[in-house]
Amino acid sequence: MTRQRVLQLLLLAGALAVSVLTALQIGVVDLPLWSLLTGQATDPLPQQIFWQLRLPRVLLAGLAGAALALCGALLQLLSRNELADPYLFGVVSGAALGATISSLLFPALALALPAAAFAGALIAILLVLTLAQRATTQGMQSLSTLLLTGLAVSFCASAIASLLLYQADSFAANRIMFWLMGSLSHADWLAVQLLAVSLAVTLVVCSLGRRQLMALAWSDDMAKSLGVAVSRWRLLLLLLCALLTAVVVAYCGGIGFVGLMIPHLIRLLFGGQILTLLFGSALGGAIFLIWVDTAARSALAPQELPIGILTALCGSAFFLLLISRRRSPNE
Amino acid sequence: MTDTSVLLQCQKVQLQLPGGFVLGPLSFALEAGKIYGLLGANGAGKSTLLQVLAALRSPDQGQVLLQQQPLQQLEPRARARQLAYLSQQQPPTDMTVQQLLQLGLMPHKALWQADSRADKAAMEAALSQVGLADKASALLRHLSGGEQQRAHLARVLVQQACILLLDEPVNHLDIRYQHQLLATLRCSGLTVLASFHDINLAAAYCDELLMLQHGELLAAGTPAQVLQPQLLEQVYGRPCLVDTSPFGQHCRVTFAPECR
Repeated sequence: MTRQRVLQLLLLAGALAVSVLTALQIGVVDLPLWSLLTGQATDPLPQQIFWQLRLPRVLLAGLAGAALALCGALLQLLSRNELADPYLFGVVSGAALGATISSLLFPALALALPAAAFAGALIAILLVLTLAQRATTQGMQSLSTLLLTGLAVSFCASAIASLLLYQADSFAANRIMFWLMGSLSHADWLAVQLLAVSLAVTLVVCSLGRRQLMALAWSDDMAKSLGVAVSRWRLLLLLLCALLTAVVVAYCGGIGFVGLMIPHLIRLLFGGQILTLLFGSALGGAIFLIWVDTAARSALAPQELPIGILTALCGSAFFLLLISRRRSPNE
Repeated sequence: MTDTSVLLQCQKVQLQLPGGFVLGPLSFALEAGKIYGLLGANGAGKSTLLQVLAALRSPDQGQVLLQQQPLQQLEPRARARQLAYLSQQQPPTDMTVQQLLQLGLMPHKALWQADSRADKAAMEAALSQVGLADKASALLRHLSGGEQQRAHLARVLVQQACILLLDEPVNHLDIRYQHQLLATLRCSGLTVLASFHDINLAAAYCDELLMLQHGELLAAGTPAQVLQPQLLEQVYGRPCLVDTSPFGQHCRVTFAPECR
């Protein structure tokens, strides 16, 4: 990596640190951040709010943003399609179906919803990969098969979930609707740890396999002729993406557009070189979601806005801006 | 007894493509250190054959042997250390010339290995061989078509394979670089199988030619053996004259122009 790229990434990392510190200070309760961090605070209430609520929430926002944006960038590279995002491959629909079933069967169990959503997401992605693999061995194009299978599984899971919701009582339906709009209010340390480990593993795999990724992003033939075990690498990276998305969806619900928008933005700002794109997307996604979550919990405080609504608004505004800027001067 | 000079061997290779096109059955052998030219009209199966030899497609029947070992059974990285392939078209990407060359080194690298000083020297040498020494940090998509092609040839050279399979390597190149690159390949001592549309260029630089028609091997041998007027007319559908080039002992083919 050139010195310029390293500087760009360091700049983003600095912006992330500032974002975390600022977001920690914004909230319904004013917290003495410095004395809390240095252990000088004695009052238990601010301590509890800081360590049990605000810190895990800000960290989860950062990690979820990083995970979604990194998955988006990875999937765009792997599918050679700038419109790919983590919600492809049926992950969200699978998670929503899992959440719906758990809400209907175990409405009182708090942990059942994220667990069922996680299971639903993983089952969906495994189904997509298995079906796509079978179609590919029968001679179909692997990439388009994968995208089409993802779409098919996605629609099927959505249809079943809608049917169940249609039959369900309005309380369960409301609960699921709210979950689907996305929220970080269920943040806890387990979610933070799970996501941090999955994210770290994915980043290490991407760094080690940077050459393989570069070749895969180019073309399957190029990668094969350079000795890359194409199917094995693609499967590994897709599974990592599925894992990251499933954890995010299970704990935070539906947060759209981050995986689509942030890699585009990073490509615009820093160019499309692999490591800059992947690490830049992770950092950029973290910064973005921390700020959006801060806005979601403080704009109408003490009421919370679903975060998915805000990310979708930002995403559509971003793409409209992009389209208007792309228009040639003659038009 | 097996001939030790044979590097790559095609044994009754046959492949049917989804459109109905059938390649083969083809049998031939490539000997070490020779330059082979693959000729044929559009759609004769040149690219498909190169893809089969590069293990990008598996034949339906027959097999390809690389140094006596079945190609499909070789571990991908081990295969890439012996066999380098350049496809006809390369999609543009956000990659610098330097990064493209680093990809060429990939079969020789473990995941955690960084580029050594020797690697950097090898990349610089390959770049100056193709006349791109000053473009190492340029983005590929900012280069002209010919420069991109030369960058890819440098990537193939850096791969340090003993066999190069090149699909129309001199496409997009101006006359000077066409000759310079083929001369570089000739001096390299590598075994090369390259497809050509320019028969005179193939005749000037290749030791042997393979002529394909409708997926079958119509003729194989030295340029003088293969470049027969009747055969060329049969393949390309134009009458032609074959004589000796004034610049050497190789054949020169002149096709009759369409009436103007």
